[in-house]
Amino acid sequence: MSGDHTSSAVSARVRSVEAFLESRGLLDDGEIDRRIDEFLAGGSPVNGARIAARAWVDPGFAERLLADANSAIRELGLTMAGGLQEQRLKVVANTVDEHNVVVCTLCSCYPIALLGPSPGWYKSEAYRSRVVRDPRGVLREFGVELPDRTRISVWDASAESRYMVVPRRPAGTEDLPEEQLAGLVTRKGLIGTAVV
Amino acid sequence: MSRINDVGGMSGFPPIAEEPDEPPFHADWEAHVLALNGALIRRGVYNLDEFRDAIERMPPEEYLAASYYERWFTAITALLVAKGVATADELDSPHG
Amino acid sequence: MAELAPGVRVRTRTTDPDGHTRLPRYARGAVGVLVEEAGVHPLADDRARGRAGAPQPVWHVRFAAADLFGAGDHTVTVELWADYLTPIEEDA
Repeated sequence: MSGDHTSSAVSARVRSVEAFLESRGLLDDGEIDRRIDEFLAGGSPVNGARIAARAWVDPGFAERLLADANSAIRELGLTMAGGLQEQRLKVVANTVDEHNVVVCTLCSCYPIALLGPSPGWYKSEAYRSRVVRDPRGVLREFGVELPDRTRISVWDASAESRYMVVPRRPAGTEDLPEEQLAGLVTRKGLIGTAVV
Repeated sequence: MSRINDVGGMSGFPPIAEEPDEPPFHADWEAHVLALNGALIRRGVYNLDEFRDAIERMPPEEYLAASYYERWFTAITALLVAKGVATADELDSPHG
Repeated sequence: MAELAPGVRVRTRTTDPDGHTRLPRYARGAVGVLVEEAGVHPLADDRARGRAGAPQPVWHVRFAAADLFGAGDHTVTVELWADYLTPIEEDA
């Protein structure tokens, strides 16, 4: 972790490089601020929670989601085209027999245009190095104890797809409306490091 | 040759640290770095794979000591020089 | 040579290229099974070297953890370009 002094030095250097690029016509005036606003307004775990809740209440949607997530999420007015280009979304669903968990071992690939920035631990060497080798141990660190009979599938986002997990629907939620179900879904649940 | 970013299966890293109520960015400049990178890729100054390559080329000790967005900024400035957009001296001089 | 298709067993490239690649070290020289095609894209190795690269299929390839690490009862599914993969000829 950088101290305040380092951070202010980096901050000044970033501003200086931006000003240089503006002077060379490679950045428009106000472009960076506009892009930051767009980024912060665009992605959110709330989008993922809506997708998961719809999959819980609508088996037809769940089937379409697992087969072709990019098309299915358009039914909710969502898109994977919010970033540099449209990315393929691969959605996997947890069941009593199989638990899915997502990582990018090579860098930090994550559906940020849909779900917002990834958590710091997702980008850490600690998580990236260990979850492919010992997912049960890593899940235990997150407080997730899975029965031995539950198979674990780790997905390494090593190419062009981005991934999202549909957690298992909690027991006793049969009567909850879709909006309240969505409120149960956490960002960690969408990565596979939490149960809901 | 394998680079420091390729950590899958490696041992020796510390326990996973979660930050409660983590903000999207820990400082304004981090958001600026993210937006700057997107702007330069959209303009075709470099592509996403060249950007990843530039991060991976960091010396391992620098990579591990740097924060996430410090790595990004190191890669961006390295690519601006490599692509002939700026000299290292120009990037080191104060502007604005 | 067998075609790449779901269910086909493949061996991943063993070489350690000089420069950017998206075949993680832990998955090199390993045998896995093709699960699903994940689109068609130019090879990242080419693009990182400033070359356009011809688009080629990318696959979800599933490995048994025990085949990668010698231990573990889980699977790891890695997304790999066709260039990294060689189909294994099965005995008839």
